[in-house]
Amino acid sequence: MDSDSFQRSREPDIVHRAEMSDTPVQAHSVFSGLSLAAGYAHSPFQSGIAALRDPGRLRESAMKHLWFSTAIVSVLAILLIIVFLIIDAYPIFAAVGVYDFIAGRVWDPAGAAPAYGILPLIAGTLLVTFGAMVFAIPLGIGSAVFLAELAPPQVRAVAKPAIELLAGIPSVVYGFFGLIVLTNWLRITFDIASGETWLAASLLLGIMALPTIVSVSDDAIRAVPRSYREGSFAVGATHWQTIRSVVLPAAISGITAAIILGMGRAIGETMAVIMVAGNAAIIPDPITNALSPVRTLTGTLGIEMGEAAVGSAHYHALFGVAVVLLAITLAVNMCARMILQRIQERHEGAAGAGYGPIRAGIDLIRLYTPIFLLIVPSGLLAVAADLRTAALALAVVLGFFLLRERVSPKISQKIAFGLITSSALIVLLILGIILFDIISNGLPALSWEFLTEPPRNLGREGGIGPAILGTLYLIGGAILVALPIGIGAAIYLNEYTTEGRVTRTIRAGADLLNGTPSIVFGLFGFAFLVLFLNLGVSLLAGQITLGLMILPTIIRTTEEALKAIPDSLREGSLALGATRWQTISRVILPSAVPGILTGTILSIGRAAGETAPILFTAVVFSRRLLPTSVFEPVMALPYHLFILATNVPGAERNQYGTALVLLMLVVGVYLTAILIRNRYQKTVTW
Amino acid sequence: MENNAILKTENLNLYYGGNHALVDITVGIRKNRVTALIGPSGCGKSTLLRCFNRLNDLIENVQVDGTILFNGRPITGNDMDVVDLRKRIGMVFQKPNPFPTSIYENVAYGPRVHGIRDQQRLNAIVERSLKDAALWGEVKDRLHASAMSLSGGQQQRLCIARTLAVEPEIILMDEPCSALDPIATARIENLIHALKKKYTVVIVTHNMQQAARVSDCTGFMYLGRLIEFGETGLIFESPRAELTNNYITGRFG
Ligand SMILES: Nc1ncnc2c1ncn2[C@@H]1O[C@H](COP(=O)(O)OP(=O)(O)O)[C@@H](O)[C@H]1O
Ligand SMILES: [Mg+2]
Repeated sequence: MDSDSFQRSREPDIVHRAEMSDTPVQAHSVFSGLSLAAGYAHSPFQSGIAALRDPGRLRESAMKHLWFSTAIVSVLAILLIIVFLIIDAYPIFAAVGVYDFIAGRVWDPAGAAPAYGILPLIAGTLLVTFGAMVFAIPLGIGSAVFLAELAPPQVRAVAKPAIELLAGIPSVVYGFFGLIVLTNWLRITFDIASGETWLAASLLLGIMALPTIVSVSDDAIRAVPRSYREGSFAVGATHWQTIRSVVLPAAISGITAAIILGMGRAIGETMAVIMVAGNAAIIPDPITNALSPVRTLTGTLGIEMGEAAVGSAHYHALFGVAVVLLAITLAVNMCARMILQRIQERHEGAAGAGYGPIRAGIDLIRLYTPIFLLIVPSGLLAVAADLRTAALALAVVLGFFLLRERVSPKISQKIAFGLITSSALIVLLILGIILFDIISNGLPALSWEFLTEPPRNLGREGGIGPAILGTLYLIGGAILVALPIGIGAAIYLNEYTTEGRVTRTIRAGADLLNGTPSIVFGLFGFAFLVLFLNLGVSLLAGQITLGLMILPTIIRTTEEALKAIPDSLREGSLALGATRWQTISRVILPSAVPGILTGTILSIGRAAGETAPILFTAVVFSRRLLPTSVFEPVMALPYHLFILATNVPGAERNQYGTALVLLMLVVGVYLTAILIRNRYQKTVTW
Repeated sequence: MENNAILKTENLNLYYGGNHALVDITVGIRKNRVTALIGPSGCGKSTLLRCFNRLNDLIENVQVDGTILFNGRPITGNDMDVVDLRKRIGMVFQKPNPFPTSIYENVAYGPRVHGIRDQQRLNAIVERSLKDAALWGEVKDRLHASAMSLSGGQQQRLCIARTLAVEPEIILMDEPCSALDPIATARIENLIHALKKKYTVVIVTHNMQQAARVSDCTGFMYLGRLIEFGETGLIFESPRAELTNNYITGRFG
């Protein structure tokens, strides 16, 4: 708007202002106050709008209701998931008893005398997650500190997307890598019969949890006010002292949330775990035996769901497993949510708070530091050299740690920064190894035939054409389902309401949906879409399941994009007499397009790589013809890779080829998102 | 007067990328005096102050030319130990920035990072610093309460105490009263008077009466240049430069 139109009408316009506060939509509180203040400016078109007022109102209220209905979809979805799981799990709880189900030590649903005790499965999940955290927490925090505090801007610009790229690699590709490379390496290193162990699962899940931990911790560290750092530097503290005593304690809630979110990711992971954990439903003996195979809750669902007859006790027992799994992940995610909310409240003012968490933060840092100091170098050396050298290095670090009071601040800074930098290097090295392995082995398989032909001889020969197309169909459908609903929900949350019980409920619904393990979506899709709605194992059922799964991502990224738009833009439009919907559709949404695009692309990446949700809803292993309708099943890349890697001996070449194509698809999608984000300087985290 | 200068700049120039923020600054800060820097906002006062303890190092794309001498030794070089420099030249910021820990922890932070671990000594330092900052009476019964529970003026005195705890030679203050009410401001001004005995103080202020009240020397800056520098009385009564005169009489713009 040019200054001219402002100057033409300086007179306060009472009518106009009254109309604004009188719109059927409850104005955002800050917003309405500001727009009242801005009421001095109005437009020459104002009389025209007054004439349209009534139909306008009708449309406004219709819009509001429309967006509201999209906003409650995620709440309905999570409720439906919970209800359907519980209904299907109820028979087993009734037959076995909740306590015996959870505390029973034998899981043998297919035996002559079936036993339904899931304690070994719970133990497997907890042990694997714990192991993953031991490995991922120090590396993740170290890398986050490196990115936020040490990396020069040019390095950060490359390293941050690279680490985030780890999040984009599909879990089945991780599993494939783990199966071929990691388990093999463990088998040789520890001289054991099979490398498929608790340790393998933990290492792999640790790698998968890293990007979450790094991303969220990095944000938390960067959110620490600069004035804290300056205050510390101004009394002559070194950079490391400042990081350790001021920055990390102030960021501790965010870092803790990062860890919990990473844990959630590890607990909910299915495909990668199935491929490397060995899957024996036993509690390791002794319990610290990291070289024992384990089986997780998710793994059990992934392995057995396809075998259990619908309606059998086994079938109900699997839904019981899903209920327990969902309960654990929801609890974990609620913790993270609460912590993050507390931080937000603190940042938003309330100066009185803060002392307690910070004090606790310092204590936690004291706890984290030794773990960090111990694990990073030992991990590094265990990879680089043999175990004896690693033990020696460990002793040196331990010695340093005990003597650290006597080491000068400058030397401890050198050592600490060395460790921090090496943790970032380790993470980048892991990424490099995975990419190198898959690219170098996969390239020879690529050819035009491979990309277009259907598979032959159980996938050992021929190509993956139908799987590529099937995956594209699945993604396309999922986006068609999730995009309108997600954008609508975000518009409702951000533009039409004030924060209150309704928005909190909707956000909680989306968050819970976000924290729901993908295998649970798969079970739900099977019970609700395939059976209850009678869609059968079909493209449509897969599309809807995937759509529900990516819905929270789209809501969140869209909301972030909307929030990033300054209120002055809204005021500018409203002050001209535009209605809310006119403002949204002509001013707000166009400026939010890059953010929405980023979110959509991220979701595409996620949908393309997921296996668990389509496992029982949409896919078949082999199919020569493309589906002619959405009611037929399809082939899909991740599932194809999963079967090739686990069930088809001698398909090495096509395994790597499939992995590479899937990786290129997903990584390409992620890179596009990162480029868009960097281009528009938005801060979206995922 | 430049002979007993503890801090001296010669032809100091500073660039934020392409923005020439300090132009040929040559000034001498005298020991155990209060020196005020005044001038319209954006003229480079904070920038100059942050040159003295090298806090501008934290900002990307900053280029500094010229010399700064602290006790006769240059401090701009790469080989300078900035940590030691900042220990000897403390700083109090415009907005009080206590750490979100206890009052005690805030004051003990500096001595701790400099290697003092003996509890008795720390207690003594905390007490002395809080007394010197005229805050002891108000907080002695709740040293372990959160620093965030203090009022703005108390927080600022806490930040001063935090600075005093490491016994710097110079204290830089960047508009230390701009976020405070008149009563809290008066207290800090009294404190500055008292600090002069032990410390050298350089204070940036927006408020000309404050400069006149607390300082011995005053420098007037405008658009990155030091227009005039001298005894506070002289600057305010008979400024030599037209610009200075316009500024202190409020005829500006
Ligand atoms: N971090 C920075 N990056 C770029 N320019 C800056 C930065 N800080 C200050 N400046 C610029 O330097 C000039 C002097 O700023 P400053 O020293 O803060 O002024 P004062 O403290 O006198 O108000 C201003 O033009 C300001 O825009
Ligand atoms: Mg300033």
